[in-house]
Amino acid sequence: MGGPLRFLLSNEFGLIVLVLLFGILFSTLSPAFLSKFSLYALGRTSAVNIMIGFSMMVVIITGGLNLSVGAIGVGAAMFGGWLMQAFGMPWVPGVIGGLAMGAALGALNGVIIVRSGLHSFIITLATMSIFFGVMIYLTRAESYREISPAFTSYGRMKILGVISPLLLVTFAVAIMLSVLFRFTALGREMLVAGANARAAEISGIRVNRMITYCHMLSGILAGVAGLMLVSRTGAAIPSMAGQLGQDWLLPAFLGPVLGGTLLTGGRLSVLGTLLGSFLVTMLTTGLLLMQVGAFWIQTYLGLLLLAAVLIDLARRSYLERRKLL
Amino acid sequence: MNTAQRVLAAGLSLALLPSATLADESTRVALVPGGPHPYFAAWEQAGADAAKDFGLGSADYRVPQKWELGLQNQMLESLVTQGYNAFLVFPGDPVGTVAIANELAETGAPVMALAGCLKDPSEAVFCMGTDTGNSAYLGTKELLKQLGDGAKIVHFTGFLVDPNTQLRIDAVAKAAAEGGAEVIQVIADIDAPEPAEEKINAYLAAHVDEVDGIVTTAWVPAVVASNALRKIGDKRIVMVGIDHDEVVIQAIKDGFVHGTMLQNPYGQGYIGSFVADRLRSGCTVKADAPFKSNALTDKFIDSGTVFAGANDVDNYVGSMQSITKVLFDEFESTYLDC
Amino acid sequence: MNQKFWQSEWFGPLLITVTAIVIVSSLNPSFLSPFNIQILLLAISVNAMIAFSQMIIIAIGQMNLSVGAIGGMAAISFGGMMEVWGIPWPIAAVLSLSIGLLAGIANGALCAYTGISAFVITLASLSIFKGINLGITEAQPFYDIPDTVKSLGNDTFLHPLPWLVLPAVAAAVLLWYLLFRLPLGRAILAVGGNEHAAALSGISVPRIVIVAHAISGLLAALAGIMLVGRLQIGQPTIGDDWLILSFAAPVIGGAILTGGHVSVAGTFLGVAIVAIITQVLVLFSIDPFLVQVVLGGLILWAVGINRYREVRAHRKIAAGAI
Repeated sequence: MGGPLRFLLSNEFGLIVLVLLFGILFSTLSPAFLSKFSLYALGRTSAVNIMIGFSMMVVIITGGLNLSVGAIGVGAAMFGGWLMQAFGMPWVPGVIGGLAMGAALGALNGVIIVRSGLHSFIITLATMSIFFGVMIYLTRAESYREISPAFTSYGRMKILGVISPLLLVTFAVAIMLSVLFRFTALGREMLVAGANARAAEISGIRVNRMITYCHMLSGILAGVAGLMLVSRTGAAIPSMAGQLGQDWLLPAFLGPVLGGTLLTGGRLSVLGTLLGSFLVTMLTTGLLLMQVGAFWIQTYLGLLLLAAVLIDLARRSYLERRKLL
Repeated sequence: MNTAQRVLAAGLSLALLPSATLADESTRVALVPGGPHPYFAAWEQAGADAAKDFGLGSADYRVPQKWELGLQNQMLESLVTQGYNAFLVFPGDPVGTVAIANELAETGAPVMALAGCLKDPSEAVFCMGTDTGNSAYLGTKELLKQLGDGAKIVHFTGFLVDPNTQLRIDAVAKAAAEGGAEVIQVIADIDAPEPAEEKINAYLAAHVDEVDGIVTTAWVPAVVASNALRKIGDKRIVMVGIDHDEVVIQAIKDGFVHGTMLQNPYGQGYIGSFVADRLRSGCTVKADAPFKSNALTDKFIDSGTVFAGANDVDNYVGSMQSITKVLFDEFESTYLDC
Repeated sequence: MNQKFWQSEWFGPLLITVTAIVIVSSLNPSFLSPFNIQILLLAISVNAMIAFSQMIIIAIGQMNLSVGAIGGMAAISFGGMMEVWGIPWPIAAVLSLSIGLLAGIANGALCAYTGISAFVITLASLSIFKGINLGITEAQPFYDIPDTVKSLGNDTFLHPLPWLVLPAVAAAVLLWYLLFRLPLGRAILAVGGNEHAAALSGISVPRIVIVAHAISGLLAALAGIMLVGRLQIGQPTIGDDWLILSFAAPVIGGAILTGGHVSVAGTFLGVAIVAIITQVLVLFSIDPFLVQVVLGGLILWAVGINRYREVRAHRKIAAGAI
């Protein structure tokens, strides 16, 4: 049972195949897909979507959900923007402040969930309303525009003509998350706590604390995504994740779920989430480019998603059968 | 020629010819709303008409599938890749759309904010739309004409994340204060029909006797409130709506609603497409163009707003066309150097 | 299991509902005016259908993200068939319901036979159904709704009981009967409780999954059709914001998201609580910028109370055992 075969069976390999497949399809049908601007835009959009996926992923490993990712992301971004505008802070402390806000809101979710023993679904449903409501009440829906130009220049910068610095941030975070969950005791304890809370408790892991940590991490990652959008749009705006932050929910779930993170908890794939989010962003970009009837795009996107998971399923069952022979 | 060839041809002509002598046919205008909404439907026809009348390559109405800032951005980026070279954009967010508008302008394309403005500073040539604050103000004034002193009015409006909402709230409050009326309630965040139905009906159920007038400053609340008044069968409460949804128009004809504040989406799309082409063929915006100012920008052009009561409502399309004509006839001489 | 009624999962929500009604109506008597009751019941009837549509899927331990998309698709089909083809409304309603049913069956079959999680399948089908809706309507509503439909959607048959209450009550009773009195319902709950055990005991899991999704699609379509009557327009946006409510109401009503445990009465009360909260925010003229905060706070408070009661009940039982 060699490693290579196991890799061929993995979700990650399947996603790579799909990305290549659809990449070839789109670039044949519309050569502009591979133009520098198109690739740059694709990378920049996926950078944020992947980060949003990560933010959900680290809560899914506890077997829970975090519906408030969008609300936390906006809250953190607005707080960071406020620090920079109201106190003229340079961007580094401003960003740190924003991330601290994200961490605090995430931790608050975690504490309420652990203390009440209620499902994270209903708690984060409520806190989504509360976080977003407080943000909109305090800001009166006004934007913060006086962001340090150094920070907003990253959102438009092109490295080698095609790579957005935002994408590099995402890769860096992906590597950090991989290290955390693969090589550190803390990360492994988080996973064990998510896989089987009772067993983890018996083996001396403080499950409640781990769950709180996961939510805190989710808050920080949501904050990173929010601040990336600040850099991208040049301002901290209350509408960047839509009403109640709901616009983020779809990208938040799509990446991890396509990437093979189990909704029941205990298992995650950083690379899978990254590829899953990228695949979805790429499908949207490709469809927009092909000018399929404007109002039908969503139908095609859904069909492609379905096709993607079915192709992946077929591939795996084929390989499994071959292995049995 | 297929799309790819056309893009290629456009690219070649760009490289070979000085921009002033570009053929009109290379102009490809994209009209992009913030998301699907009946208000913008008139843009499709307006773009098609403008393309035909002025010989543009195309003026296409391209709709993001959802009201999401990210999706609109992605769509605009994609339109650049597809070879569009002029953009008429309803900003998904007055501040949040500035960055992408600037990036579009960097590609050399004229960018105009349409129906809603970008907050200054931005690279948009100008903003052409309804002066939302003014429309709310005038609508309230029309309402107060029908009511006595000390009237109690309520205001139904849209999403709070939309900064226009705050402008509307302020404008209604201002008009009410001037007219000696009192705004006893503002109900916001009701741009979707279900919550709007629930909240407006709940409010009217409890307060129907205390309310003298209703002003609505967003599409869905206007529709829902019209239906609510019809349901109650009450013609005592005076209401001024907004836009030209069939429900509102019919309620005006039947006497349940006093009138509506029409906006001019067709004119925005038609004139916008025309201007985009003129700008591409070398015209510039006059340095001393008589722009108006609003809360967001100093480069504002009012696309017109007009009150339509029971008498004019049958011919509301005519009213919209006549404001378009007035604006169009003088546009080039007023705003452009050609 | 000899459960006392105050230990049942719907007792908490009932307590909250009654308390809320008493408090609100003492502060604002118009809350219990016949007209307001009618308004409340209209909202509750449609929302109950939405919540039931999700509840039946929660019962088998899955999620259906496409309830709103199915409801919207059925709603615009209903409006479109009447306006464009001039089909009489009862036939249009039946056809639209079958569209919902088929959409549900498609969801269920994909989940059952591919083994891919319902979350992913319905996420994809959400996009497909919503896209079909937008493709057909191009975001334009259908206006030509017959007066009969409008009046069924708004009028009362017995003051202040609106017509729409009838399908809601019928659905509630039928669902309760199905889930707790018929073998099929027991099979549904068994699959939700433990799929493997259910399969071992001879239940055809794929069949049950398909049935549950079919019921869900049917109920979502019914909610969409009812909304067309209530709103008097075939709005393409119908269903866009159902998702949160569809989960919140069953969960407030004591449903367990991992499956096998739902309460019809609890879900109904969950819907009522959300409707009352929405009304209260309007009745007491709460600063619009604070509405979301209050709503979130009230949800927390509602589930918190429920949880507290549960914990105390457990302690009592534990103490009794000792």
